[in-house]
Amino acid sequence: MLPATALALGVLAAALAWPVPAALARARWPRRDPLAALVCWQAIGLAGGLSIIGALLVHGLAPWGHSLPEAWWHWVTRQPPDDPVRGDHWVAQTLAAVLALELLGVLVLSGVRTARTRRRHRALLELVVRPGAPSSDTETLLLDHPAPVAFCIPGVRPLLVLSSGMVEELDGAQVDAVVAHERAHLAEHHHLLLLPFIAWRAALPVLPAADRAHDAVRDLVEMRADDVALTSLDGADPRRTLAAAIVAVAGGAGGQLPDGALAVTGGAVAVRVRRLLAPAEPLPAAGRWSALLCALALLLVPTALLVVPALA
Amino acid sequence: MNTLGDLERAVLEHLWAAGGPVPATQLRDAFADRGLALTTVHTVLTRLEQKGFVEHDESRPRQFRARGTREEHVAELMHEVLGQAGDRQAALARFVGSVGEDEVRMLRALLAASGDDPAPR
Repeated sequence: MLPATALALGVLAAALAWPVPAALARARWPRRDPLAALVCWQAIGLAGGLSIIGALLVHGLAPWGHSLPEAWWHWVTRQPPDDPVRGDHWVAQTLAAVLALELLGVLVLSGVRTARTRRRHRALLELVVRPGAPSSDTETLLLDHPAPVAFCIPGVRPLLVLSSGMVEELDGAQVDAVVAHERAHLAEHHHLLLLPFIAWRAALPVLPAADRAHDAVRDLVEMRADDVALTSLDGADPRRTLAAAIVAVAGGAGGQLPDGALAVTGGAVAVRVRRLLAPAEPLPAAGRWSALLCALALLLVPTALLVVPALA
Repeated sequence: MNTLGDLERAVLEHLWAAGGPVPATQLRDAFADRGLALTTVHTVLTRLEQKGFVEHDESRPRQFRARGTREEHVAELMHEVLGQAGDRQAALARFVGSVGEDEVRMLRALLAASGDDPAPR
């Protein structure tokens, strides 16, 4: 069994480490359906980790049995291996353990660190800012600063922060659009979608795909929040209002980098503005469903390879 | 309203306004209208110290002062928000990230070009 399974998982892992994320990051359909694309990215991340660790584990445990569950059981119960154990089996086992621990450890560490930073920011904001009018579900704070800035701090009691510069430079409808955008982040827990990609970019600095995946997910989350914000905005032309707000904030004091500096967003802001001003057709239902089915298949294939005993 | 958060903010604002070291008894007197016990004042001060907003000296009785002005704390937060701090793991997602000047010009042109209804409200 095992050589074929390990090989198949290895090929899948290689595909998910480079060509697949590269293709998805380059594709143009995600901006037409950010939600489906976000599901695909989560599936790529999960399936990638599963297949690389699975491939190493399957190879490492090959001498102990004919399928992974069986071999795992024999290994755990310390039964003697059926076949001689070579050095490469030990190496594969060790690598699988190290990789699994690193990926999970970094995820936990990153989560804890982010939570700590958020707690610090929240404490600071609650002390420094006089509480504004208590709004319905989310507390909104007005930070006294000239740069037009808006952000949210997710958590049990989410916090929405606007700077005074934002309120001064934007008109009322535009501020509403910004608030709706930030509320969409909070309502859909976008920080959780981004967390694994922040963690794995830190864990796998040698993997360009990790960087690419993080940037793509970060940009998609913004587009998704734009889309959700539009559904709750009224007014003559909410698309244009939101686009104008984005441009105003991008051009405001503090938003700009000096000439020649590499823009951190790499054109993502322009993509957002373009898709608001000249919206492309939304992805047809068939397209959306095939994207979602691909995501599901990405998760099912490595799972099946791991659990279903080898066919050959 | 005497929730701990309100008290912390009120005490900190008092310390900011005072500008110099203040003993706890003076704070209690300043908030006489709230009817605070001295222990409550100390609790609030300890919490503020743990959060790094207040420090005390070694004189007797101890004097408390604010660490940094309100503006300094805001500036520090904005520094992180604007992504100028070293930690690029920013826990904060901004509405719009940093953009180059060239891109801003391009964005403005884009917005203007699409504006068939140029009258800004």
